[in-house]
Amino acid sequence: MAEERTVLVTGVASLWGTRVAAQLLDRAGLHVIGLDVEAPREEIQGLDYIQADIRNPLLADLFEADRVDTVCHLAFAETARPGPAACDLNVKGTVHLLEACAEAGVRKVVLKSSMAVYGAHADNPALLTEDHSLRGSRRYGYARDLVDVEKFCAGFRHRVPSLSLTILRFSSILGPGADTPMTRFLSASWTPSLVGFDPMMQVIHEDDVVRALVHAIDHDAPGVFNVAAEGVMPLNRLRALAGKPRLAVAHPLAYWTTRMLGASGLGLRRYVPVELDYIRYPWVGDLRRMREELGFQPLLGAEETVRDFAARHRGSPYPSEPSWLSRDEERLRGIIDVRRHGRSQQGTPGSTQEEGG
Amino acid sequence: MMSDDGRAVPDERRLRQLRSEVDRLARRIQRLAPDYQPPAFSPRRLIKLVEQGLDGLPPELQLDSVDRLRQAIDQGWLQPETWKGMWYMLNYTLQYNAGLVKRRLTGEYEADPWGLDWEFLDLVRPFLTFLYKGYWRVEAAGVDRIPVEGPVLLAANHSGQVPWDAIMLTTATLTEHPAQRLARVLYPAWVPKLPFLSVWLARMGQALATVENGTRLLEQGDLVATFPEGDDGLTKTFRNRYRLARFDPGFVQMALSQQAPIVPVSIVGAEETYITLGHAPVLSRISDLPHVPVTLTFPWLGLLGLVPLPTKWFIDFGEPIVTDGFGPDASSNLVLVAQLADRVRNSLQSLMDDRLVRRRSVFLG
Repeated sequence: MAEERTVLVTGVASLWGTRVAAQLLDRAGLHVIGLDVEAPREEIQGLDYIQADIRNPLLADLFEADRVDTVCHLAFAETARPGPAACDLNVKGTVHLLEACAEAGVRKVVLKSSMAVYGAHADNPALLTEDHSLRGSRRYGYARDLVDVEKFCAGFRHRVPSLSLTILRFSSILGPGADTPMTRFLSASWTPSLVGFDPMMQVIHEDDVVRALVHAIDHDAPGVFNVAAEGVMPLNRLRALAGKPRLAVAHPLAYWTTRMLGASGLGLRRYVPVELDYIRYPWVGDLRRMREELGFQPLLGAEETVRDFAARHRGSPYPSEPSWLSRDEERLRGIIDVRRHGRSQQGTPGSTQEEGG
Repeated sequence: MMSDDGRAVPDERRLRQLRSEVDRLARRIQRLAPDYQPPAFSPRRLIKLVEQGLDGLPPELQLDSVDRLRQAIDQGWLQPETWKGMWYMLNYTLQYNAGLVKRRLTGEYEADPWGLDWEFLDLVRPFLTFLYKGYWRVEAAGVDRIPVEGPVLLAANHSGQVPWDAIMLTTATLTEHPAQRLARVLYPAWVPKLPFLSVWLARMGQALATVENGTRLLEQGDLVATFPEGDDGLTKTFRNRYRLARFDPGFVQMALSQQAPIVPVSIVGAEETYITLGHAPVLSRISDLPHVPVTLTFPWLGLLGLVPLPTKWFIDFGEPIVTDGFGPDASSNLVLVAQLADRVRNSLQSLMDDRLVRRRSVFLG
């Protein structure tokens, strides 16, 4: 391609948006636009940042004005509870974005989804192909919204065949920076386990998630793809590799407790990835299409991914807090630094050490 | 190893026998942990090891064992060589077991994407062999009709309320087939809902019965075993024994799409392990089970009533029915699928009838 190709990344302030944009900016011949309601925490060199919501009615005009070629949609609220606000952003936002893309003649859209959309069911085959029906949990907000989004996409694909739509369904994401159900599950000091159940599990490293998204932006492969690291392992082995003790609970008791606690608003969400069914039944994706049609191969295997996560996790002296808190801390530190700097410029230069009371 | 009253001096022959026995055990364990060197022999350490071993026993048994040991030492019939042999053996066993447990706890083991874990299979195999050889005295005939490699589909009759027949079929191919092929049995959808059973069956290489799973296993070149009667066969009452229930034709579709030969397998003996009179639908509704049988012993004797009767079993493998040469779309041709299913059903029924005619007694064969 002789002329510069324009790629727009939504949700650029999120972990995934920031990392994908940074990767894209590393290569020549790409104009990268970042879209989000808030600016990225650290400034990304060379990023053309636009502050706007994906539900903005003028989105199509923006796409047209910038002649956007590819949109990578990463603006999702990964909330546990189904709620109108998150649903509005996730489902209505995506629908609006796709319609705007169709209207503005965007050539390609890449979407990040999750294998949680298949749902964990007793009658799931050992390996789920992408054509399997979507029976994701209706109680977990993010999975529920994704199922709705994907069902819309299936119709959209037929209606607008000229647009190349790539959906990547990722398995449980692990990594030092990510805050996903699986990282929360393995970060707690104990992990619940249902007595007598040990389903097979897949994971993927956060670096491979970014790599897969960039790969999908670079290569044209319309369709839906399961993306996970090579290697499927029993949940108990995953737990053992991560060095986490398990707390075995009889399943009727566990279901009853989560129902009660869920109703009272306390919730065990921090300890359970998505929902109890997801540590009871298998929801393992078939990776044949990822290898053959998408042509993508994750760098880390499943075992390495878990070991890497566990090694970095053990490095911290304290049991890790949810990572949003550490991110919050970092942001606040930045603000404090700016303020100190500002005040020290106004006041006497030597007084900075005494501040803080 | 003690003589009758524990007092008589043992003769040379017996001592030699004991020594060679201990040596053989030591060699066997040595093979399992080749790079392990046991610490040098010293009587005090040996006593410590014996103490460790005794720790788990009740006090009376401990006293008894120590007493016997004391007598043995007094009479001097245990030579230093034998002591050394025992020392090595005990050390090796401890080391091997500790290593195995540690590896399981730190996740150093492998399971294939279906959940098959050979170490688990090795662990339960002695029990399976006991059931196979000792309890039901299974006689398998024609097992060499299963090709040594490539995809093969077994279609067997199902019965017995508790799927012991599936487990015995796996044991049969694993022990009697020249290539020791592992039959991957397909189980119904109520199994994954049950704790323990779901995990154990998956670790033994079994999988959920869906056309997708079966096709994929055959594509991998595996030996797949199906029970085309499904739950209708499993829940058969005693009156209907050895009468095949309706066949679910899904198994033919799996075989056709991979052009795998279908081998009918008749399992005779399994249908008499429980004398089923009827079913208790109320009990099955409140549990996760698809059916709760009422047999002569269950639920009257509680879980004890689930102990199967020690009948004599015969597993007969029939002539393979080839499924290649029907073209690529054959698996969606429902007429062909139904015809083939009928053919398998007829040959299975006649295989079973042949055996039933020749059988004289349910318990003796």
